[in-house]
Amino acid sequence: MIYRGEDIIIRTISRMLIPFIQLYGLYVIMHGHYSPGGGFQGGVILGASLILLLLAYGYQDAKSRVPEKLLTVFSGVGVFIYAGTGFLCLVLLGNFLDYAMLAKILHTDAAHARSLGILSVEIGVGMAVMAVMVSIFLDISTGGVLPGEEEEKQKTAEEA
Amino acid sequence: MQTFFLAVALGICFLVFLVLYRVVYGPGVFNRVAAISAVGTKTLIILLIVGFLYQRVDMFVDISIVYALLNFIGCVAVAKYLEMER
Repeated sequence: MIYRGEDIIIRTISRMLIPFIQLYGLYVIMHGHYSPGGGFQGGVILGASLILLLLAYGYQDAKSRVPEKLLTVFSGVGVFIYAGTGFLCLVLLGNFLDYAMLAKILHTDAAHARSLGILSVEIGVGMAVMAVMVSIFLDISTGGVLPGEEEEKQKTAEEA
Repeated sequence: MQTFFLAVALGICFLVFLVLYRVVYGPGVFNRVAAISAVGTKTLIILLIVGFLYQRVDMFVDISIVYALLNFIGCVAVAKYLEMER
């Protein structure tokens, strides 16, 4: 006996929990230097919150929250922040990812500049990991073709 | 206090071994899913007690919150998979 229908309990619990899961993911990213966590772990928690949304509501209802194009943009922007910080240190006459050179821009001492450099790198990693986790979940669960695209492909094939 | 919490942790480990019987011999997959979820809750308690024994509770509270979240999401995912038509 399997009940097929709307899962009110899972939907209500997901609606209540997902903002707190995302807040906790941001906390894990920000406090990676002291408590267990960091960029990758926080990104996985943020991705897990969006996967919970997709599991509870299904792809048709939740697809406005996780559009594929926005996920692609997020992963690219995350990698851009990481590599951009490294190249910024290179432009400022230091080594690649030599955060002490950021002290010239930020007008602080070298220790604060290193801390802020690592923080920006963690933020970039978190964004990229979140986008890639949700994208992998969408690819595996729908078999590569999103449920809306099949009909569009058939329509364009019939028109042509 | 340390030996008391150590005894409590060992008792909960024994309870986990009792639940593992359902994981191995449970007739059907629903019994196994519920048993794995129960093992997850016991693991949470054991993590917190280990944190208290090492006197760094704040670090282990972070880890156990994450494990509780992932346990919940994993159970929802397995339940959705079992609900699918074959």
